[in-house]
Amino acid sequence: MCPTASEHRLSGVSGGERVRIRDVPDDDLRGKLLRIGMLDGPVRCRAHVANGPVVVERNGTTLALGASVADDVIVAADGQ
Amino acid sequence: MGGCHPDRSDPADLAGESGVTVALLGPPNVGKSALFNRLVDGTAEVSNYPGTTVQADAAPFEGGRLIDAPGTYGISSFSEEERVAREVVLDADAVVNVVDATRLERDLFLTHQLLDMGIPTVVALNRMDELRGDDREIDVDALAAELGVPVVPTVAIDGEGVEELRARIDDATAPAHTPIEQWFEDLPELSASRAECVLLLEGDEPTLDRVRSPGVRADGGGADVDLPSLRDTIYRDRRRRVDETVEQARVVGERSRTTADRLDDLLLSPRTGTPLALLGIGLVYLLIGDLVAQRLVDFLEAVIAAHYTPWIVSVVDAMVPAQGVLEPVHFVLVNDTLGLLTVTVRYLVGVLLPLVIAFYLVIGVLEDSGLLPRLAVLTDRGMSRVGLNGRAVIPMIVGLGCVTMAVISTRIAGSKRERLIATALLGLAVPCSAQLGIILGLLAALGPVWWLAYLSVILLVFGVVGVVLDRTLPGESQGLVTELPRLRQPDPASVLRKTRTRTRGFLAEAVPLFAATAVLVSGLDYVGGLARIVGGLRPLTALLGLPADFGRVVVLGLVRRDFAAAGLTDLALSPAETLVGLVVITLFVPCVLSMGMIVTERDLRSGLLMWVGSWVIAFGVGGLLAAVVGLL
Repeated sequence: MCPTASEHRLSGVSGGERVRIRDVPDDDLRGKLLRIGMLDGPVRCRAHVANGPVVVERNGTTLALGASVADDVIVAADGQ
Repeated sequence: MGGCHPDRSDPADLAGESGVTVALLGPPNVGKSALFNRLVDGTAEVSNYPGTTVQADAAPFEGGRLIDAPGTYGISSFSEEERVAREVVLDADAVVNVVDATRLERDLFLTHQLLDMGIPTVVALNRMDELRGDDREIDVDALAAELGVPVVPTVAIDGEGVEELRARIDDATAPAHTPIEQWFEDLPELSASRAECVLLLEGDEPTLDRVRSPGVRADGGGADVDLPSLRDTIYRDRRRRVDETVEQARVVGERSRTTADRLDDLLLSPRTGTPLALLGIGLVYLLIGDLVAQRLVDFLEAVIAAHYTPWIVSVVDAMVPAQGVLEPVHFVLVNDTLGLLTVTVRYLVGVLLPLVIAFYLVIGVLEDSGLLPRLAVLTDRGMSRVGLNGRAVIPMIVGLGCVTMAVISTRIAGSKRERLIATALLGLAVPCSAQLGIILGLLAALGPVWWLAYLSVILLVFGVVGVVLDRTLPGESQGLVTELPRLRQPDPASVLRKTRTRTRGFLAEAVPLFAATAVLVSGLDYVGGLARIVGGLRPLTALLGLPADFGRVVVLGLVRRDFAAAGLTDLALSPAETLVGLVVITLFVPCVLSMGMIVTERDLRSGLLMWVGSWVIAFGVGGLLAAVVGLL
């Protein structure tokens, strides 16, 4: 799935940005993120290693997603 | 549908029942293994990274047994750990659901899933010390009332609440009805337990195998009944219930940023994290390569040479005549090549043991602090180039302690393909603690240029072999998805306990092997067989530009590479010869126990390929290196 004008990929998010995860095409990854509450509301990007993992946090739970994984996750800026 | 039947949720089922199986279940890294150790006085490994427990450990408990299941955020089949956990739960009579009190929003999903499944449950609300440290509070009674099951606050690492938890296990229960039932009608007619029905609704295919109802088959292979695909719907509904439960539990207080959080930010930023990681490696090098491998080992070897060796030789001389029928026995016990009571004891006690203890201490600190998952983030980009993701750095670091243990921990890799690549790289290019300690000691004596040369060659081989495997093995590797636990100050008692357990394991594994090798090699030496084997290996040692005596090191390396490294310390070699010798024994075949584990975890064919490949790569790379450094 391609992001719309107001959406972009998690792999393009910078450290400190707050975004909402809008779409996770991979069934298993979506299941994993749903379980730990990452799809319940906004997540904060704690760090983004250049061409590497994106580290996101919500409610004290911190999750690292590799570059290829983050590239498949569609997000929108929090509030949009 | 009429097949789902409520089961095991009546507390009367458990109270007073003997022989029951209780499972400890919870998300990764919430303290299950620590609680397991408290409840059964056991020695399960405890670490601060997800995936410490990759298989279920069991121990006798209150007339039945207690099972420590691998950590999971929910019951399904997303990973090997989850598959093991699912089987444990489906076969258990009751579950102690371990929940991190500081992570209720995350952990109560599994709790609600267990209750939906009708599994008699008691909740251990663990890490209460950290919650208090964060100036936060939970209304435990309200949480218990909301869930409908007992909730016991605990601090597993110091035993707080463990006795109350033990007493409340008989009260494990589950609500008779939960909202999941609204979807039971969507299932086809089949005979399954309530727990199995929940998993079927969530699209868990392996549960179909368990059910094996006529007309329903696994894998969709011609199954004439379709299962509903309701996982997202059910998960979202359960998340809503989690939020309501957390609201009712009235979690009070806001966690403020701590020094550990600020350090964490520095570690996760490549600009500061990479230099900090290099600084850490430098400190480890100073501790092990300089302090232990040189100063302590030199001191111990001198003490053994001055006091122990003359004493044991005199004892043997007095008891076993050096001539006559017992001459071979005398030779095996005290010869200068690999005497069972002389050189073998010096290698084991004077060289290997201090190095192994030092490495296990360092690895224990890395594991308990939560630094390993941060390393996974920093190394993910590099590891992805060899068909792995950053999580594979964990078996690699564990492999620096013991490759045999690390082969088991490759189970945390997401796919069979990744496990195979990780195992091959472990067996080929990751030196174990004792071997690495000797390598660090020998290179430290030569200087930083030789150390850099050694590291470059090994990393180059690691990279090239990894890329080749990535490009030739079928399938694709999975990207990194890992939770980062909080950074914690390691508990010295826990680190010491792990070091003691692992050192005992090392001795139990190494002593019989060393003894058997000493007897075999000394026996061969006595009858002249060793000289013939070393002579037979001469073409290979000549290929490396090394003296013929290196053949003896190769023979020792067939049993254990650390033994070969110890043997290398007795050869008088130039710096270039030392470099080539170290590269060859690093890349040489895995020790016999690692081979056994590789065959067990993978298969015989893969094991044999890796063994033969190690010969080819070790001597091929060694020969090339010898040509480059001018030995040929």
